[in-house]
Amino acid sequence: MAQALRLALERALPLVPQNRPGLPRQWLAALPVLLIFGPLLPGLYWALSPAMEPMVWQALWMDAQWPHALRSTLISNVLGTVLACGMAALLATLHYPSRLWSSLQRRLPLLLSVPHAAFAVGLFFLIAPSGWLARAIAHFFQWTSPPDWVTVQDPYALSLALALAIKESWFLLWVLAAVLGEQAVSRQMVIARSLGYSRTQTWRLILWPQLLPRLRWPVMAVFAYGLSVVDMAIILGPGTPPTLAVLIWRWLTDPDPALQARGSAASLILLIVLLVCVLAVRGLGWLLKQIQPYPGGQRKPTANWRWLPLHMPLFVTGYAVVAVLILWSVAQTWFFPALLPDAVSLESWLLADWTPFWTTWWLAIAASLLCLPTVLIWFEWGPKHLNALLYLPLIVPALPLVAGQYATLLHLHLDGTAVALVWSHLLWVLPYMVLTLIGPYRAFDARLMSSARALGYSPWRACLAVKWPMLLRPILATLAVGFAVSVAQYLPTLFAGGGRFITVTTEAVALSAGGNRRVLTVQALLQIALPMAAFGLAAFAANWLGRHRKGLR
Amino acid sequence: MLNIKKLTISHAGKTLFAGLSLAVDQGEIVTITGVSGSGKSTLLNWMIGDLDPSFVATGTLWLNDVQCDTLPIEARHMGLLFQDDLLFPHLSVGQNLAFALPGKIKDVKARRQRVEQTLDNIGLAGFHDRDPATLSGGQRARVSLMRTLLAEPQALLLDEPFSKLDAVLRTQFRAFVFEQIERQRIPTLLVTHDPADVPQGGRVIEISDWQHSHV
Repeated sequence: MAQALRLALERALPLVPQNRPGLPRQWLAALPVLLIFGPLLPGLYWALSPAMEPMVWQALWMDAQWPHALRSTLISNVLGTVLACGMAALLATLHYPSRLWSSLQRRLPLLLSVPHAAFAVGLFFLIAPSGWLARAIAHFFQWTSPPDWVTVQDPYALSLALALAIKESWFLLWVLAAVLGEQAVSRQMVIARSLGYSRTQTWRLILWPQLLPRLRWPVMAVFAYGLSVVDMAIILGPGTPPTLAVLIWRWLTDPDPALQARGSAASLILLIVLLVCVLAVRGLGWLLKQIQPYPGGQRKPTANWRWLPLHMPLFVTGYAVVAVLILWSVAQTWFFPALLPDAVSLESWLLADWTPFWTTWWLAIAASLLCLPTVLIWFEWGPKHLNALLYLPLIVPALPLVAGQYATLLHLHLDGTAVALVWSHLLWVLPYMVLTLIGPYRAFDARLMSSARALGYSPWRACLAVKWPMLLRPILATLAVGFAVSVAQYLPTLFAGGGRFITVTTEAVALSAGGNRRVLTVQALLQIALPMAAFGLAAFAANWLGRHRKGLR
Repeated sequence: MLNIKKLTISHAGKTLFAGLSLAVDQGEIVTITGVSGSGKSTLLNWMIGDLDPSFVATGTLWLNDVQCDTLPIEARHMGLLFQDDLLFPHLSVGQNLAFALPGKIKDVKARRQRVEQTLDNIGLAGFHDRDPATLSGGQRARVSLMRTLLAEPQALLLDEPFSKLDAVLRTQFRAFVFEQIERQRIPTLLVTHDPADVPQGGRVIEISDWQHSHV
C-alpha cells in the first residue's frame, strides 16, 4: 500500500528532478526548458492577479483611451492579418508551381531577416508625407512642400496595418513554400490538373481545403504578434490614444500601482480578443466545411492572370525600405521634392554610437548559444509529445508574458541584470529555434544512429560523433534564426533589462520619436545588418565546414 | 493513338535521350523499362506536361491527331497513375471519384449513383462515405485507378503503379488494371523497372536504346 502510494506520488510529481538513478531521462532533458518556462508561471500570477479586482475593471471601463486604442488594435491587426493571408494566398494561387514561384521562394529569406522595427522605420520614410513615395509623384504635381497627408501614425492605424500586412505576408509565403515543397502536395496538383481542372480550380477544390488547417498555427502566430506589437506601433501607429498594446505597455511601466493593475487587466483583454477571433475563424471554417457541395465535375478554364506582376509591390517594398534607410543614413542635406540626397557624407556612420550594436551582439549570441543545447537535448531525450508547449510563446500575445517575466525578476531582485536580460529573450528564441530545427531533425535517417549504436557508441557519443555533425547545416541555420529573433526583441529588453541595456532595436524605436533621421537610420541599418550577417555567416560556415563532403551540402 | 515524335530531352547540356519516337495503339500497353536514373520519369513528366523547367525538350506529342505537348496539363486528357495512390485526403472515397466524373452528368443524384455503381464494380460497395485513409493499400490502389478512368482519359500513363504493393496484391492489382484498360481501349504507357509487370505479349521498350545508338 505504502509502496503503491509512493509510486503514485512519483508519477504525479515527475517535475521535481531528483538526483538518483532511475530518474526518467525525459525530465532531465527537459530541465533547461523548465528553467526558461518555469519561473514564468508564478510571475504570470503576480503580474495578472491585480486584474482580479472588480475595481480595476471598472477603472478600465471608465478610461477614455482604451476604446479607441482597442479600435486601432483591431483595425491594424485584423486588416493586417487578413491582407497578409490574402496576398500570400493570391501569390501562391497564381504562381505555384512555376519558375517565378521558385525565385520568389529564394528571395524570401533575405526579406524575412529584416527586423520588424527596422522595417517600420524604412516604411515610415517611404510613405510619410515627405517620404520617397510623395517625392516620386511630387514632380508630376509640382509640389514644393510635402503634401497634406496623414499617412503614418494615422488615427485608424492603417499604415500600421499595411506594415504588418507586408511583413507578415513574407512570413506566410515562406510557410506556404515549405508546405508546398512536399511531394505529396505537388503531386496532387498534377493529378487534379490531369483530371481536367485548371490551376485555380485545383487550388480552390484540392489544395486550400488541405492547406488551411495546416496554416492555422502560423496565422495565429501572426495574429498574436500583431496584437501585442509595440515597436512597430510606436513608429507607425497612432499617437494619442495609441494602439492597445502600446497603452498597456505604458500602464504596466507606470509607477502608479492602479495604472499597473489597469495594464494587467487590459492585457487580459488582448487574450480575450485573441480567443474570440480564433473561435470566430474556427466557426467560419466549420461552416465552410458544412456547405461544401458534392463534387459537380465542372471543369472551368479560368482566365490566366499570371502575367500580372502582383508580387512586385510586395518584394519591391522590401528592397525600397532598405534602400531608403541607406540613403538617409548618408544624406547630408535632402530637401523635399528631391528623389536623392543633395549631398552625401559618412558623418553619421563615423559618429554612430556602437554601444547598442555590441549589446545586441553579445545578447543575441548568448541567447542563441544557450538555446541550441536546450533544443538538441530536448529533441533527443525530452518528452516529444510536449513539443506543442514550446510554441506557446508564439501564439500568445507577448505583453502578458513579458509582464510575468518582469514580475518574477522583481521578486528575485534580478531585474536589470544581464542574466535576466538573456533569460527573458530565451522564451522567444527557443520556440523559433525549435521550429527551424524540427523538420531536419525529424527527417534524419534513424538507421544511421542505429548503425552508430551497433558499432558500440553510447547514445550521447553517437549524437556527438554522427547525428549532430551531420545536421551541421540546419543547426547553423537554427543558430542564425535564434540570433535574429533575439536581435528583434523589443519588449523583453525593455522590461527585463530595466532600461539599463540599450539594443539597436530599443535605440531605433526611441530615436524614431526624435528628429534626427540620420542617427535613426544608422541604428535601423545596424539592426538589419546583425541578422543578415548571422545568416550569411551560417551559410558560409556550413559550406566551408562541409567543403570535402558532398553529402553534407 | 498516342504518338511521340523525335523527342530529345537534355538537362544542363547533357542529353538524356535523343530522337525518341513511339506510337501506341488504342488498347495497347507499351512498357518502358530502364535502370533508375535513366530518364523514365523525365519522359513521363514531359508527356504529362509537368517537366521541370531546367530540362530542355524538343519533339512533339500527339494524342488522336491533336498536338498535346504545347497544351497545359488539364487540356491533355491523359490519365495518370503513380505508385502512391494520391487520393485527396480531405474528400471521402466517393467524393474522390465524383471529382473525376465528367461534368456532363449534372444531377447530383445521378452523379452519386454512378459513383456508387463504380464502387460496386470494384468490390467496394458501401465505401462511398469512407475516409480514404481507412482503406487498405489494395483498396486505395483500386479507387485511385477508377478515379483516373472515370475522367474518361484518351491515354493512360502509369508510373511504377505496382511497386509499392506487396507480392500477392501486386499480381491481383496488375490483372485488375490490365482488365480495365482493355475494357476502355485506350493507349497506355507503363513505366516500370520490374520485368514481371509487363503484360503478356506486350511491347517492351528499353529506354537506353535511345541513349547511345540512335543519337
